[in-house]
Amino acid sequence: MRDVYVAGIGITSFTRLEYPLAEIAAFPAMLAMKDSGLTGIEQVYVANMGAARVNHQTALASAVVDSLSLTPAGAASIENGPASGSAAIKEGFLAVASGMHDIVLVTGAERMREVNNLEATDFIATLTHPLAEYIYGVTLPSHAAMFTRLYMEKYGVTERHLAMVAVKNQNNAMLNEFAHLHQPITIEGILDSPEAMTNNPYVAEPLRFFDACPVSDGGAAVILVSEEVAKSIDRPLVRIAGVGQATDTHAVHERENPTDLLAVRRAAELSFGMAGLTPSDVDVAELHDAFTILEIAESEEVGFFAKGEGHIALEKGETALDGRLPINPSGGLKGKGHPVGATGVGQAHEIVHQLRGEAGARQIADARIGFTCNFGGFGNNVICLTFVREN
Amino acid sequence: MAREIYAYECTECGTLHYPFKMRCRNCGELEPFKFKTVPLPKRGKLLTFTKVYNLPAAYEVATLGIAIVELANGIRVTGQLEVDDPTIGMDLLGDVGVVREEPYNRYWGFIFRAA
Repeated sequence: MRDVYVAGIGITSFTRLEYPLAEIAAFPAMLAMKDSGLTGIEQVYVANMGAARVNHQTALASAVVDSLSLTPAGAASIENGPASGSAAIKEGFLAVASGMHDIVLVTGAERMREVNNLEATDFIATLTHPLAEYIYGVTLPSHAAMFTRLYMEKYGVTERHLAMVAVKNQNNAMLNEFAHLHQPITIEGILDSPEAMTNNPYVAEPLRFFDACPVSDGGAAVILVSEEVAKSIDRPLVRIAGVGQATDTHAVHERENPTDLLAVRRAAELSFGMAGLTPSDVDVAELHDAFTILEIAESEEVGFFAKGEGHIALEKGETALDGRLPINPSGGLKGKGHPVGATGVGQAHEIVHQLRGEAGARQIADARIGFTCNFGGFGNNVICLTFVREN
Repeated sequence: MAREIYAYECTECGTLHYPFKMRCRNCGELEPFKFKTVPLPKRGKLLTFTKVYNLPAAYEVATLGIAIVELANGIRVTGQLEVDDPTIGMDLLGDVGVVREEPYNRYWGFIFRAA
């Protein structure tokens, strides 16, 4: 396999966007082309989850490649639930690594604020098992809530720990101009004050409003290139050193140990193994915190902390912006937002930003090794990427 | 006749599956549909649960109880929970009732209550 580098990145604000889905995909792609100085795109992958269902549009990649005036380049849409973004990066990686293409554009986009909250919740719930979960009214917040309850029983995680994740990530998001939530919150306001139950009601007990990510529109793009192309342009060299993907049972109740996220564990092992690195080498990570509990659980499963000790590291401030291993400096899905199909590409955008030293007020000093975990389904399809800054 | 929810027993090795799979996760038999249906027991223990407030379209109730239950034969299922003050490990009895209603369509599934 050939080495694969990220030559350019681009992103939209994650928020409510009032322009068509294909343009939400094309806008960050143009920023990435401008960033890299490369326009000779040979292949385009467009990551998206809901175009057909939410936006009444199919074959999104064909629309995007045309909007970008990149025809006759190859183009394909990648739908892999909330892990669509990283799945598209994996396809782009393989296209370059195989030697088939030298310059590949991966862009992710979602426009899910086009429908109301009930429909958006239903749209995401369609990734659950149709007969064993969906018919009961199971949603992603309900899966996360049932998982949280077990984590609380088994490991002593409390609502306070969950609130600490929310506060940390929304504070990080304050430093990110692209983030959806620019709303400072405090433990007092969402947990301790007499108004907390009004400010922060339960959405699925024991999870509250501020434990869940917002519903966002948004897009993000990366341009992946061969070593030869990467070294021909005047941009910092960031290599995708590890790609790991793993799956788990579709119905969550079939998992032998319901507090395990085995696909996260396996995907991380594969990613680190391919990169020849270990979790302790990582300087900065973006983990898929669609719910606050997931940041804690994933930080354990990917190997940063022992199982059941993620909330203790959080308490000690180890995952804060100035901690030993900052997690979700962008604000994460919680603060930055979660346009589902774009999220994996958005995570890669932040890591490349950090490894290039371009992250401004939220820059992690001397970050050279970055890691992303993009969590599809309720942990049934997970992709972990490891990035290395080379020069 | 009482309504049932079925598990799928591999006719090659006897492994029970719920929900249905095309291929046995234990023996990996490649001949399709080598399963026989076995009614799931109704009694079980509460493994974990939630009370959901932001329901998807199609549910016209204020809140909904959702649970994962370990049935008497060890098979786990997801279902609706109608218990006021649930505790992990409590004994439950499942009924098969309407769990989702759409225009022209009703879906039947497990509704668990205190045993």
